[in-house]
Amino acid sequence: MDCYSFDRIISDYIDANLNVKQRKEAEQHIGECRRCREKVTDLKGILGELRTLPRVETLPDFESRLMERIENSKEQKESGFIRMFRDYSRPISVVAAVMLLVATSIFVYTSVVIPNSSGQAVPTAEIRTIQQDKSMAAPAAATVVQPALAGAKAETELPDSNKIEVPNYNNQIMMVNENK
Amino acid sequence: MDKEKIKYTDEELVKRFQQGDERAYVELVKRYKDRLLNFVYRYLNSYEQSEDVVQDTLMKLYTSAHMYREIAKFSTWIFTIAANLAKSELRRLKRRRTVSIHTMGFDDKEYEIPSEAYDPAKETESNYGEKQIQQAIDTLPDQFKTVIILREVQQLSYEEISQILGISIGTVKSRINRGRLRLQKLLKELKEQ
Repeated sequence: MDCYSFDRIISDYIDANLNVKQRKEAEQHIGECRRCREKVTDLKGILGELRTLPRVETLPDFESRLMERIENSKEQKESGFIRMFRDYSRPISVVAAVMLLVATSIFVYTSVVIPNSSGQAVPTAEIRTIQQDKSMAAPAAATVVQPALAGAKAETELPDSNKIEVPNYNNQIMMVNENK
Repeated sequence: MDKEKIKYTDEELVKRFQQGDERAYVELVKRYKDRLLNFVYRYLNSYEQSEDVVQDTLMKLYTSAHMYREIAKFSTWIFTIAANLAKSELRRLKRRRTVSIHTMGFDDKEYEIPSEAYDPAKETESNYGEKQIQQAIDTLPDQFKTVIILREVQQLSYEEISQILGISIGTVKSRINRGRLRLQKLLKELKEQ
């Protein structure tokens, strides 16, 4: 064994991690090499000093400071949640209002308009048939029949559609047939 | 719990803490605060910063205990956290301590400004050996420094060091051997100065 090879196993030699054969070779080398022998003695001393280095300790208030930090971080988390709720409360209200409006519209549509379109009687709505007057140059919009005119014959021009359902403000629906 | 706590292993305590028992956390803090401090202190050589790192480590334990799985020893898990935080802190300290003094010289050399932070080693001036050893440790490249502290100061096993650093046992052994020789060389140089 040469000095280079011994350097590679010096820690295992000191820690007694070599097998019998390796240990014999190492001991033979340090028996012959003064430099490596001194190296082993010196290194053992350094390792001994490392293991007996003075121990440092945390300050007496270490734990109380740690617990205080934990409590503070908990409070920050909570206040963060409240802040987030405050920041987003307005959009949340808007979304809720829109959803309520949509839900109401769907409810009205399914309970009033759909039964009517399938030919079933709608108890709360009055249906009027209006003859189309081709001479009238009214815009292509349905005429809303006021409650006072409900019994009278009303006419309007609807050039492009066969049937248009128009919900009345007073819960009346007027059906307009195109009569060519 | 004071009478019961003696029989709990670290792993059992973490499990109890994971289930919401805060007393288990306090017990783990008591067990590890000084062990972690000794490791971090030898690594950073700054008492105040080391205490901060240990506080951060134990805060991490509080907030991330649910991430611990009993596939590894608790000690290796907590030392891994401390080692990572200490490495980050050392990088930050080096940036802070090293000040470029371009105006004071003709070259662009950087000068080390010693930290003025509280340092227990400074209080025992007679312990010259400790100062020299700490100086040598500080000079070691990081890959040797960590294994030397974990092995020689903390006296952890090769396997534990391997788990903490995420390297093979063979690499741990090799780094310990090279680290010891490097440390010896550095101490020789310091003695000759």
